[in-house]
Amino acid sequence: MGFSFDYLFQGFSIALTWQNLFWAAVGCFIGTLVGVLPGIGPVSGIAILLPLTTVLPATSAIIMMASIYYGAMYGGSTTAIVVNIPGEASSVPTAMEGYELAKQGRAGPALAIAAIASFVAGTLSVIALTFFAPTLAKFAVVFGPPEYFALMFMGLSLVISLSGRALLKGIISMALGLTAGLIGQDPLTGAERLTFGSVTLTVGVDFIAIIVGLFAISEVMINVEQRLSSISKMEVKSWMPTWTDIKQCTGATLRASTVGFLLGLLPGCAPSVTSFVAYDVEKRFSKHPELFSHGAMDGLAATEASNNATSTAGFVPLFSFGLPTAPSMAVLLGGLMMYGLQPGPMLFVQNPDFVWAVIASMYIGNVMLLVLNLPLIGLWVRIVRIPFYILGPLIVFCALVGTYSVRFQTFDIWIMLLFGVIGYFMRKLGFPIAPMVLASVLAQMLETSLGQSLLISWGSPWIFFTRPISLVFMVLAFLSIGRGVWAQIKAKAPEVVTDDAEY
Amino acid sequence: MKTQRVADIVVGCGIALFGILIIYASTLITSGTPHKLPPQTFPMVVGILLLLCGSGLALKSWAIRGVDFTIPWPDGEGVRTLFVVIASIACYIVLLNRLGLPIASFLYITFSIWYLKRSKWLLAIVISLITAAISYFLFIRLLALSFPAGPFLE
Repeated sequence: MGFSFDYLFQGFSIALTWQNLFWAAVGCFIGTLVGVLPGIGPVSGIAILLPLTTVLPATSAIIMMASIYYGAMYGGSTTAIVVNIPGEASSVPTAMEGYELAKQGRAGPALAIAAIASFVAGTLSVIALTFFAPTLAKFAVVFGPPEYFALMFMGLSLVISLSGRALLKGIISMALGLTAGLIGQDPLTGAERLTFGSVTLTVGVDFIAIIVGLFAISEVMINVEQRLSSISKMEVKSWMPTWTDIKQCTGATLRASTVGFLLGLLPGCAPSVTSFVAYDVEKRFSKHPELFSHGAMDGLAATEASNNATSTAGFVPLFSFGLPTAPSMAVLLGGLMMYGLQPGPMLFVQNPDFVWAVIASMYIGNVMLLVLNLPLIGLWVRIVRIPFYILGPLIVFCALVGTYSVRFQTFDIWIMLLFGVIGYFMRKLGFPIAPMVLASVLAQMLETSLGQSLLISWGSPWIFFTRPISLVFMVLAFLSIGRGVWAQIKAKAPEVVTDDAEY
Repeated sequence: MKTQRVADIVVGCGIALFGILIIYASTLITSGTPHKLPPQTFPMVVGILLLLCGSGLALKSWAIRGVDFTIPWPDGEGVRTLFVVIASIACYIVLLNRLGLPIASFLYITFSIWYLKRSKWLLAIVISLITAAISYFLFIRLLALSFPAGPFLE
């Protein structure tokens, strides 16, 4: 079933009832808190609140759940920008740019740009969702394992651009990230790998522990070593971005919204992948690529826009096919089923009031989030001026709570500490950190899709070059690799701490 | 490892050795059911990649002479502070399961603020108490997350 204005207006009339507005506002507020607080990501946030919503009508409950989800994606940028704690892999590029801006006394404009880019991307994605949901859903099902592998392989080739001039170090960083991601059980056969007989290692290494260690803990170590008095001593001149910032970010936001939305339609293509892809695309488009990793406002806007576009795009396969694209979506699917709603093509036919009310509420939710977040910027900005002897221990507390709460295993916090130390030495020795994060996130997805593809093709790798979509991704990946290797061969310089690859 | 060149040679050799360890570990993986992508393939590829890139880094740094940088390692006091910070986080993790999140957080934050700024011990206690209270009431009581509450607050 296609789009109809009658249905949309009907949806708005339901979403704009005082009751649904109230629950959307509550969801946005809780979602923002979930994003900002350590320890509860969107998945646990929705899962914890799901039983509490049973007292609400189905539409109000799902409106609230959806608001929590995109509110959390919105709020997740705050800790990444202000204290360099990316609670999710998707916030890593946000931390890379946003924290640098915060150190320059521009935390306010960075938070505002993150909020505005999220709002624009969220709204554009809801418009696309409104008009094209049933059509776009078909895009998701033409993606089989070979296309996924090619996409992940292209994602891994981003290591070239994330490494700057230290290509060998970037590849080593990536290989170390892959090694960490391979520890535990093989996803296809269940065989134990790289566990060295340890039962603890069988569960594998959680990538959140790796990310928090590499960023937050190593940052604390660097700041303590340098006897930093506060993250930024600069006077906060303005909390709002300048027109130059907004002009610089407009193109980035639009491009990243498109990239994030299209990739977000694919099941399994989480914001963690799309934010890196959008960040890399923007680095190539930017007039000032040298500013990337040193506080590039357009890099920050691209990441945040793709993040939110992906979150919204995930509703297309969820509503149209009942396919959850991310763990948070799986919890939302559980919520839908709890209310007796069966996602799939018939949802639009059998429950149009519900679907269109939820879609309409997303327009309202995006405005609510912007209104809610912009006034709070002044509060968040003050955090960077807190003396580091107070902020440092509190960052460690947040990092520990955030890491432990993923699987509630002490092992994960030891991994966080270990990667904190590794991250410290990587920074000192000029190894880029982002490739390690990217590889640890992609490792299992890459291997699973490769294994499934080889099963389909009876072991022939040509399957990646005979299907048009995978061929395009493979060609792009090889071009990216070739370009990086050629640049490396031409540059007869040592692998030093490069200006363009601090992380 | 005072200069970048020496550090890259040493680290490159270390990475190459680590690659050999991963290659060896991948030979120990038992396949179980036959599969088009045996479980040892990826670890083997990654091990070879580490071996090649580590050797490459060491050789490249050894070959390039003339351009070099000094690594800004911390001074003696910096090393001592770093060691204390790492050790205190390790103690925090150990105490987490024994004393619970609120008490372990209270002890860790009090000690860390006091260590980084000796004159602010009263402030350290106040902030630690607030953090401990938040960790107990918000994470353990309100959200019912599975954090250890400790023997006194169970």
